[in-house]
Amino acid sequence: MSRGAGMATAGARLSRRQLLLGGAAALAALRLAPGLPAPVGANGEEPPILRERVAAGELPPMRERVPASPQVETLDLPWQAPGRYGGDLRLLMGKQGDLSQIAVYGYGRLVGYTSDLELEPDLAQDVEVEDGRIFTIRLRRGHRWSDGHPFTSEDFRYWWEDVANHEQLYPSGPPRTLEVDGELPEVSFPDDRTIVYAWSKPNPTFLHELAGALPIYLYRPAHYMKQFHADYAPADELQARVAEYDQRDWADLHTYLDNLYDQDNPDLPTLQPWVNTTRPPSQRFVFERNPFYHRVDPQGRQLPYIDRLIVKIAAPSIIPAKTGAGESDLQARYIRFDNYTFLKAAEDRFPLDVRLWKPAYGSKHTLYPNLNANDPTWRAVMRDVRFRRALSLAIHRYELNQVIYYGLALEGNNTVLPRSPLYREHYRQVWAEFAVDRANALLDAIGLTERDDRGYRLLPDGRRCEIVVESAGESTEESDLLQLITDSWQKAGIALHTSATQRSVFRRRTFAGDSVMGIWKGLENGVPTADMSPKELAPVDQYSYQWSKWGQYYQTGGRSGEPVDMDKPRRLLELYEEWYVTRDTERRRAIWHEMLRINAEQQYTIGLIADVPQPVVVHTRLRGVPQEGLYNWDPGSFFGLYRPDTFWWADEAETAEAGPEDAEPRDAYARTRTGEG
Amino acid sequence: MSSTTGQGDSGNGRPGARLGGPARGQIPHRVDDAPFQPAEETPMTPAQERLYRASQWRMMWWKLKRHRLAVASGILLLLLYASTLISEAIAPYNLHSRFTDHIYAPPQSVHLFHEGEFVGPFVYGFDYKLNMENLKREYTPDKTDVQPLRFFCSGDSYRFWDLFEADFHVVCPAEGGTLFLLGTDRLGRDMFSRIVYGARISLTIGLVGIAISFLLGITVGGAAGYYGGWVDVGAQRSIEIIRAFPEIPLWLALSAALPVTWSPLWVYFGITVILGLLDWPGLARAVRAKLLSLREEDFATAAQLMGARPPRIIFRHLLPSFASHLIASATLSIPTMILGETALSFLGLGLRPPITSWGVLLSEAQNINVVALYPWLMLPVVPVIVVVLAFNFLGDGLRDAADPYG
Amino acid sequence: MFAYTVRRLITMVPTLIAISVIIFVIIQLPPGDYLSTYVAELAAQGEGVNDERIAYLREKYGLDQPLWRQYLMWAGGLLQGDLGYSFEYQLPVSELIGDRLLLTFVISIVTILFTYAVAFPIGIYTAVRQYSIGDYTLSFIGFLGLATPNFLLALLLLYAANIWFGTSIGGLMDPQYVDQPWSWGKAGSVLAHLWVPVVVIGTSGTAAMIRRLRANLLDELQKQYVTTGRAKGLSPGKLLLKYPLRLAINPFIADIGNLLPQVVSGAAIVSVVLDLPTTGQMLIGALKSQDMYLAGSFLMFLAMLTVIGMLLSDLALAALDPRIRLEGKAAR
Repeated sequence: MSRGAGMATAGARLSRRQLLLGGAAALAALRLAPGLPAPVGANGEEPPILRERVAAGELPPMRERVPASPQVETLDLPWQAPGRYGGDLRLLMGKQGDLSQIAVYGYGRLVGYTSDLELEPDLAQDVEVEDGRIFTIRLRRGHRWSDGHPFTSEDFRYWWEDVANHEQLYPSGPPRTLEVDGELPEVSFPDDRTIVYAWSKPNPTFLHELAGALPIYLYRPAHYMKQFHADYAPADELQARVAEYDQRDWADLHTYLDNLYDQDNPDLPTLQPWVNTTRPPSQRFVFERNPFYHRVDPQGRQLPYIDRLIVKIAAPSIIPAKTGAGESDLQARYIRFDNYTFLKAAEDRFPLDVRLWKPAYGSKHTLYPNLNANDPTWRAVMRDVRFRRALSLAIHRYELNQVIYYGLALEGNNTVLPRSPLYREHYRQVWAEFAVDRANALLDAIGLTERDDRGYRLLPDGRRCEIVVESAGESTEESDLLQLITDSWQKAGIALHTSATQRSVFRRRTFAGDSVMGIWKGLENGVPTADMSPKELAPVDQYSYQWSKWGQYYQTGGRSGEPVDMDKPRRLLELYEEWYVTRDTERRRAIWHEMLRINAEQQYTIGLIADVPQPVVVHTRLRGVPQEGLYNWDPGSFFGLYRPDTFWWADEAETAEAGPEDAEPRDAYARTRTGEG
Repeated sequence: MSSTTGQGDSGNGRPGARLGGPARGQIPHRVDDAPFQPAEETPMTPAQERLYRASQWRMMWWKLKRHRLAVASGILLLLLYASTLISEAIAPYNLHSRFTDHIYAPPQSVHLFHEGEFVGPFVYGFDYKLNMENLKREYTPDKTDVQPLRFFCSGDSYRFWDLFEADFHVVCPAEGGTLFLLGTDRLGRDMFSRIVYGARISLTIGLVGIAISFLLGITVGGAAGYYGGWVDVGAQRSIEIIRAFPEIPLWLALSAALPVTWSPLWVYFGITVILGLLDWPGLARAVRAKLLSLREEDFATAAQLMGARPPRIIFRHLLPSFASHLIASATLSIPTMILGETALSFLGLGLRPPITSWGVLLSEAQNINVVALYPWLMLPVVPVIVVVLAFNFLGDGLRDAADPYG
Repeated sequence: MFAYTVRRLITMVPTLIAISVIIFVIIQLPPGDYLSTYVAELAAQGEGVNDERIAYLREKYGLDQPLWRQYLMWAGGLLQGDLGYSFEYQLPVSELIGDRLLLTFVISIVTILFTYAVAFPIGIYTAVRQYSIGDYTLSFIGFLGLATPNFLLALLLLYAANIWFGTSIGGLMDPQYVDQPWSWGKAGSVLAHLWVPVVVIGTSGTAAMIRRLRANLLDELQKQYVTTGRAKGLSPGKLLLKYPLRLAINPFIADIGNLLPQVVSGAAIVSVVLDLPTTGQMLIGALKSQDMYLAGSFLMFLAMLTVIGMLLSDLALAALDPRIRLEGKAAR
């Protein structure tokens, strides 16, 4: 789009930042970027699939279907352009449960991330934040559910009062994530477009929760759900419905139907770009466009461009093969990096284009020394920072990268990625070079000098220094990496054995302290800003496998687990708690940096390799999909970050001139790289 | 005993049976001069004597020899099993040796002549190029790089049977060269060596499994057949129950129940036990049926009267009467177990790396990349097919031979 | 005969009860339950589920009850025709398996026909020409199917069918026909997909059938009446087909009851590789995700099929052979 619009966006971003940080400015507003939208439906164009229904009077014209102030997609990113209506998008999913991915890709959220990972209002017209603790959500006038019923604060009230706080539906009360320090918000509904969530302390994660791939849904289609609620529906009708759906009681029925995320109930109204029309069980689900969707393009045409999504359920193991046979138009799920060569070969036979996107893991695979191991000898050894550093130094990350990833991945520690504003080279590089002699010197310094007849070091209690690395046993990549590490650790006199288990077993053993070391993914969010929670860097979560028991202690308020009994981790805990209450972004940034530095230098987790590319297969005629992008669960919502409702089908003729577009993408990706600090 | 009764039917070819005259209908009348002495035994020709005196096993061998495919299969299997004793020496490389600059290398074929000149067995080296466009590792044989093989040589060192260090190999690559007869996998490991090592696991898994199955089948079937009554009813019911289970889901459920923290060795035993546990009912039925008829025979009664106890009667007197039969059916069961192991590995529930079996190798070949780009990784299927076929032919031959009426 | 049938039916009851207990124990053997697997999976994708919700679900599905009570709940439901509830699909099991059963039977029956079509000629030929080159060659071909691991053969054919004939990968029909009413196009698409599983599953069963037919036929061919027939100048074809073959086939007919369940369960692995919408694939998925009622009811169903199949075989045999009826009386 025009330059003016771009600058306006930048301006809006600035004000948003102040508000999200909730710093000195006591009041700020998330506002819609004032683009230059043409009046909605000005030229009378309707998506072809809806034309008949509009003509027959079954549907109001576009102008009346879209909110008075719709969300305008400015389409000013290099890979974007105003598109055309029509067409089906075929997708492959591995099981019925994957239908929820459509809610992830569709990415209709109260607030959502832009492709620069900035927050912007989406379903909400704006969100005002006061003092970092009072959130006023304002809805769009004339916004409707996919069945045409108005979307109002009643939908929020219904959820908060009649669902979340209903003892039969949510027996233990509203979701924990809404609590700050054990305190639930005060929720009020001043008028039919306004909702206020207020806490007495700042809640820096609230908006991020709303924007997540799996968000907290603060609303429900009340008009639909009330049919199944004992407080609203007549008892006899309810009874009949319970019987019809074969459920135990009305609460079960309500819970069963009340799921905005699963996308498996075609009757449930939604706010997403596409609406499921197929009742399970099936092998093929058809999603049709939501005629009341709230986003429009710069020409005032209602999105999405694409009429239908066709989701075929197929066994995950044959999804790469099916994709390579041209049976999907947009596929990344169940495609692994090692399928790249095969898919690339399929480009000759089918109209598909294989691109490589980047995930946001701090490290795709990471070793977790268990600081809470039950075995006293191992616990003592693992807690010695020299030992952990030696292990890290004895890993030949360059070789891992060359052998398994063709040198395309990023070597180094488990820390933030260069795309993050918090990135510093030190965090990724320190103790991450390959130096067996230094590793040996460190190990000698600890006193592990005794060796057995095969040249392996002996532990202080005389056992061989033999580390069993437990894995969830799901990827051959993991076992290949471990195979390579086995060889280089051997040079440091350390034996490695792999024990592939199952996910739940892997967890249970780690939580219980039975395992000595595990291998798992690294930081979920490798591209954080200072305003995102640094919880992965502090011992506050059981799922941080290097200190599960400490995390458990923190999570349960001391009821189970063990208290932190080492200095540095205790410092991390203090920093984390300080981050949570501080309202100053500079201070938050300083906290992040200190935590990152401690984690890198202490090697609590031993990162291996990051930025392992994710192949994304795109039909050659599909437009609006960047050449390079971020493929990440949260933040990102996979394709959701790039707004699939703006994807569109080009004609055969337009495909021919696609050449210049390919030249651009590097810049486009650079844009996502340089999120501002 | 049962063997002699068998002779009545198979008339042709026996020395004493040449009774047919030159032309039918014109049999010349002939009177034997020798005195008619029915009480006296007919003297036997040496050939006859050899036949009548032959042990059950010897006769089986004679019959087996007629089934050439069975004999050939038997020899092949013997060789294969013998090879597992010296896998380390046969494989040109170690099980875990990796060659980082030869990842996904295709098989190197062995040549004898270079540019029309005889140089003995050799392979051409590789030109290697990584194609960054499609991330394919491209290898072309370098026709100038002749790498003669070495025989009875020292190469990768290994611990023979985990007992002592050695580095003797039957065949090695040229110094500084490579010898990937069946190509390499994703870590640059020699497939041929891995198949050779894999044979150790895959071939023995059938034997151990069948041993378990045998033990159970004979005990249960034996008890049922010998005692009859409620023991029989109980055994019959449990056989029926186990047979009513679909096999593959049952394998699946049982293997999923193996504690995942078990060491690979224990998993190996666990899998064999599972394979054996599901195989015995068929055997038990056969044993029971045979015993039911045999226990009524005179020699069993005689043993009973002489005070022999049931186990002795079953194992000493009754079982040997149809042991040949059992062996034949066992031979036919082994391939089922070998295939069962590959199926379990495919489902991710069998053996797991670092243990290397054919099933593990095949499960690693179980994706579209391999089929389309690296077909040589499917080669472990060849020994599986060969062994399964060989066991089947051998088993068929044995059964034909063991059948007294065959 | 009636008495025998009744007796046979009565013995089925304890067998089925024992089977149901064993099935229940087996699906409970792997550590954890569906919800723990489910939570682990969600967490691995970075999705979280709150603990209260899990506790609620656990209570709802009765997973917090002691095992014996869970068993009684399940078995009691089965008796009333309630197959339980699938956690994974969030639907009653009975709603899930309808379509799949139909396709499973279609595949199985076509497979059985294919097996017969291949096994009979080979079996007869190899018996008549014992130890000839033809015998060895055909046995070899017949056994090849048995010797090749099904999953690999399936994968190869899957890929080959796509490259050579442009058949869509996996499934039983091209994606556009799924859930559509039957039409010629759909039927054609099904046929184009059907041959791969039929060949893969079928070839693994032919060897056993060839072997039995050959053995039976060899037995018959050595009997006196064949010699007599030959002596009387019957044509070789008639001599073979008129009596020996009919007798040799008898056990097969009696065995048909057993065949169906065998094929149904044998197809499980193939259906995973080929992504066939059959019961086998669903069963393996259910076993892996510990969707216990789905897995349990499926296994129970297959076991029932087998038990009924055995019953039918026994009845058929008893009808053919009066001695069995009498022996049954004496033994029990």
